[in-house]
Amino acid sequence: MKPLIPFFTLVRQEVYRFWRLIKQTIFPPIVTTLLYILIFGFSLGSRIQEIHGFPYILFIIPGLAAMGVINGSFSNACSSLYMAKFDRSLENLLATPLRPVEMVLAYIFSGLMRGVLIGTLILIVALSFFKIPPQHFFVLLYFFIFQSVIFSCWGIIAGMRAKTWDSLATIENFIITPLVYLGGVFYSIDLLPQPWRMVSMFNPLFYIMDGTRYGILGVHDAPLLYSFSFTAIVALILFGVCVYLFQIGYRMVR
Amino acid sequence: MVPATICHLLTPMNAVEINHLKKSYPNVAALKGVDVAIPQGEFFGLLGPNGAGKTTLISSIVGLVKPNSGEIRVMGFELRKNPREAKQQIGLSPQEINIHNYTPIRKILEFQGGFYGLSKKESLKRGEELLKHFSLWEKRNVGRYQLSGGMQRRLMIARALMGKPKILILDEPTAGIDVELRHELWSFLKELNRNGTTILLTTHYIEEAELLCDRVAIINHGRIVAQGPPKELIAKHQLKKESRRDGPFQFVRPGSLEEVFIKLTGHTIEEEAKEETAEETRA
Ligand SMILES: Nc1ncnc2c1ncn2[C@@H]1O[C@H](COP(=O)(O)OP(=O)(O)O)[C@@H](O)[C@H]1O
Ligand SMILES: [Mg+2]
Repeated sequence: MKPLIPFFTLVRQEVYRFWRLIKQTIFPPIVTTLLYILIFGFSLGSRIQEIHGFPYILFIIPGLAAMGVINGSFSNACSSLYMAKFDRSLENLLATPLRPVEMVLAYIFSGLMRGVLIGTLILIVALSFFKIPPQHFFVLLYFFIFQSVIFSCWGIIAGMRAKTWDSLATIENFIITPLVYLGGVFYSIDLLPQPWRMVSMFNPLFYIMDGTRYGILGVHDAPLLYSFSFTAIVALILFGVCVYLFQIGYRMVR
Repeated sequence: MVPATICHLLTPMNAVEINHLKKSYPNVAALKGVDVAIPQGEFFGLLGPNGAGKTTLISSIVGLVKPNSGEIRVMGFELRKNPREAKQQIGLSPQEINIHNYTPIRKILEFQGGFYGLSKKESLKRGEELLKHFSLWEKRNVGRYQLSGGMQRRLMIARALMGKPKILILDEPTAGIDVELRHELWSFLKELNRNGTTILLTTHYIEEAELLCDRVAIINHGRIVAQGPPKELIAKHQLKKESRRDGPFQFVRPGSLEEVFIKLTGHTIEEEAKEETAEETRA
């Protein structure tokens, strides 16, 4: 027996799940981006000043792509786990020989595929309007991957904890979306007055957005080393938490 | 230290071995020190009234319940130390339906095979055989919602067999299944057992256990109250010819396992209650 078969089977199951629901999982964020481009690029955008030397629409595209990655990864993991808890198929999975770390990695992997697929499609659609390639491709990939890991892990934890569907929507609407918006999708924190600028520095999403923007446009507000290390460290910590929770069977094992 | 795999080859061992297993839920002690050993190749029945602890015991064997103390070995592998190896040996069809909601059942079986290490090709082939065997092939492209209760049960048994288990565990597999299907399932399980699969079955249909099992254990209030081949249990515990057959024994065939079951479970309730108060005062 090839030892990786169980792991890749779970990845296949998870990818199969979101791929079958492509109209709900992949298309909506792409449509949203197109709307943003129409509104901010062609109608409103011309009235807003350039930021860091970029037209407004170009400035916000990296944030929109990151938002796609983040939402896609989070909802992939949390809805899959929540549903599996709901129909009890999670118990079937837990009774198989898969190790906790393999289960976590498989959920992350499928979240990664969905998130990075969405982010990439958004960039392809958006940048094809402006005909510029990403400035630092590997930096972009780095931030895409680590932000996807962070939010897949968060999704795993949220999915395990959730007792109702509502609580998941609450996290998305009242925690993630505000953090993302205030993390500088639509503005450079250079433009903020104190104390808001200071406050923004404590928003973890700020570093993720800033790094992603550097990968695409080549400009950044925070020291790059901060953003790089911060993103990777948070991802590792959350990964550890997820593996631990699966090991003890948190809210899954009686 | 000798690796577990070598111990395997040297000593004949039990398929399942459970020692001093205890499990308490927040408001009830479900298992109060259970010892069970099931030799390889045996057809073993776990009998008990509702709430006796059957599901808790079975769920412990696959890691879905964390016991407070005690030890579980599956084909020699200690569950806590080698969970992967232990679970690899087992196929489980649980009491409650736990089938992925929207995935076509052919996919469900294919994935299940993969979880136990079968290649995609092998898994598809085995899935097809099992779907055909359980008369589900026509339904291969639909989800669980379009299956009747009996079909869902059969699907869970098919799914439990995907990983080619050495030990098949069935938690009340015949609950809510009509007579004809039940008999089909019985002959299927007998055949499987003849070909070497160890089977652990829980049920509260006593005649089912009497018909199928080489040995049964009767569990009540989290304790095994009797264990042995049905014939021996009957010989040992059946009511005396002259005893009165009223109350719970009114409709029971004399000399049946059911009689023993009622005697051991129904009649011990009072003693059990006394025992429990005694335990509480001690604590
Ligand atoms: N998840 C749970 N939480 C609390 N109590 C439980 C839980 N599962 C079972 N029990 C209790 O444990 C006892 C044994 O239940 P169970 O193992 O399901 O018995 P059986 O399968 O023999 O009907 C019962 O008293 C039941 O109410
Ligand atoms: Mg039960």
